[in-house]
Amino acid sequence: MKAKKRAVTILQTVFLIILAVIVLLPIYIAISNTFKVSDIILDQPLSLPIPPTIQNIVSVIKSPNTNMLEMYRNSTILMVAGTALTVIVSSMAAYYLARVKTKFSGMLRVYFLIGIMVPYVIVYMPLCILLRNLSIPFGVPVLIFVFVSGNISFATFMYTNYIHSLPIELEEAAEIDGATRFQVFWKILFPLLRPCTTTIAIFVGLGIWNDFQTPLLLGQIKTITVGIYTAVGPYSADWGVVFAYVFFAAMPVILVYLVAQKNFVNGLTAGALKG
Amino acid sequence: MKKKRMSIGFAAPAFVIYTMLLVIPIMMAFYFSLNKWNGFNAMQFIGIENYINVFRDARLGNAVINTLIISVVVIIFVNVLGLFLAMLVNTASVKSNIFRTIFFIPFVLSTVAISFVWKSILSYNGVLNGMLTTFGQEGLIGNWLGSHGSAIVCIIIVEIWRTLGYHMMLYLAALQTVPHELYEACTVDGGNRWNKFRHVTLPLIVPGMTVSFLMSIINELRMYDVVKIMTDGGPGYDTETIVYNIVSQGFSNSMVGYSSAISVVLFLAIGAISVFIVTKMNQKEVEM
Repeated sequence: MKAKKRAVTILQTVFLIILAVIVLLPIYIAISNTFKVSDIILDQPLSLPIPPTIQNIVSVIKSPNTNMLEMYRNSTILMVAGTALTVIVSSMAAYYLARVKTKFSGMLRVYFLIGIMVPYVIVYMPLCILLRNLSIPFGVPVLIFVFVSGNISFATFMYTNYIHSLPIELEEAAEIDGATRFQVFWKILFPLLRPCTTTIAIFVGLGIWNDFQTPLLLGQIKTITVGIYTAVGPYSADWGVVFAYVFFAAMPVILVYLVAQKNFVNGLTAGALKG
Repeated sequence: MKKKRMSIGFAAPAFVIYTMLLVIPIMMAFYFSLNKWNGFNAMQFIGIENYINVFRDARLGNAVINTLIISVVVIIFVNVLGLFLAMLVNTASVKSNIFRTIFFIPFVLSTVAISFVWKSILSYNGVLNGMLTTFGQEGLIGNWLGSHGSAIVCIIIVEIWRTLGYHMMLYLAALQTVPHELYEACTVDGGNRWNKFRHVTLPLIVPGMTVSFLMSIINELRMYDVVKIMTDGGPGYDTETIVYNIVSQGFSNSMVGYSSAISVVLFLAIGAISVFIVTKMNQKEVEM
């Protein structure tokens, strides 16, 4: 009986190891081949990059049709501003939705919720036409607000549930002490929302950083993802350079993920679980 | 005590942004869908003609079938294997933790990065064929992304690879809500592994399962990035998905009215499916 149990455990571990290798292999191929010259990639894709070359990285940085700095700057601005703005407007809206019990507030809650089901592809074409007719130039600033609009449903929903679970007494006490609603929210309530804010920030931030369709279809804004797509093009087969681009896109995310793994998992699954 | 009134001002910024950039565009899409319009010339009201064409469009029909094939295979695969994996790593050991970390990595990476990596592996002049040549297996070389049949299989493999860890995590969260005492009770009653799974685990993770199914359906019905980069819908229209079709009709062919009609139908379909699954699974929960 005991021997059988051990055999099962070993079998399970072997299965997990095989699957882990399958999951990691493409990532290993991408990272190791970033540091090899293109000629050897096809002959020995699995070998370690010894001696490593930074030729691919350099050619990406020096490439005339890519501006890595601009791409990083756009993606970072979009991610930081988009996430911060989403957190601010959604938490404030949720404060109203959670603490005011009127028919109007209930209707508003449903109104915000509808956006969760929307396949975003429906919005691109009308948005382009709307911006064109209002003569708003396509660019990073308007894209920030587009990302916020797409994330308000989810963030407001999460915050509203979270505020519901918090006792209202603290806010009432602060009000008796003469604090305004605004002060109550920012000084008392908002710090208490921190776990929820972390979850939302990771979900929204990573979503913006990795988004491809939105910046591509709304004016081909050169974010990391769109920049790489346009730089590599559909027919390139210089894999060393392709891997170097992927390296630039994926490395920051992998590093942050390995450091804050638990927060990432919470951030990316909590939305689904609460929904 | 004077009760201060909560100001609607708190909800106003979110309301304005959400309405301007999401709700109004959706309403515009509904309106466009009733017109024949290329985005520049005068709009021509044609009623439901676009919707009639949606159901007659052979190219769209093909995209729907592709999307369904990809969705069904991926959904079954990631949910079955995801649950299985979750059960294997549902222990509080360092080993389990390492496996969880590894399996989840693909899901945090951008689909663009992932798609390019897989494209480099599966292309005709890519890594896989290079390896086959090195090992003297030239006979096995294939144009994986460029051949009828194998291209869609490649897309399916990448989607499974990308989302498996996510679904494992969803199931893991569900499994951790199952109280340990119930398994012990099952053992006392003489239950074996299968009994435990069937009569303890399964009924209790129905909510988690609903979520996992729903997320996989929504994700796969919205498929775009991987196809756009790996095959660009090809060869021919072999890997074209619904969303790819909408973007290509709207942006490349300037059929604003028609592409809006397709996206409205997709919107309604996703809404209907979501409601259907949630109610169906709620019933199941009671039965089990």
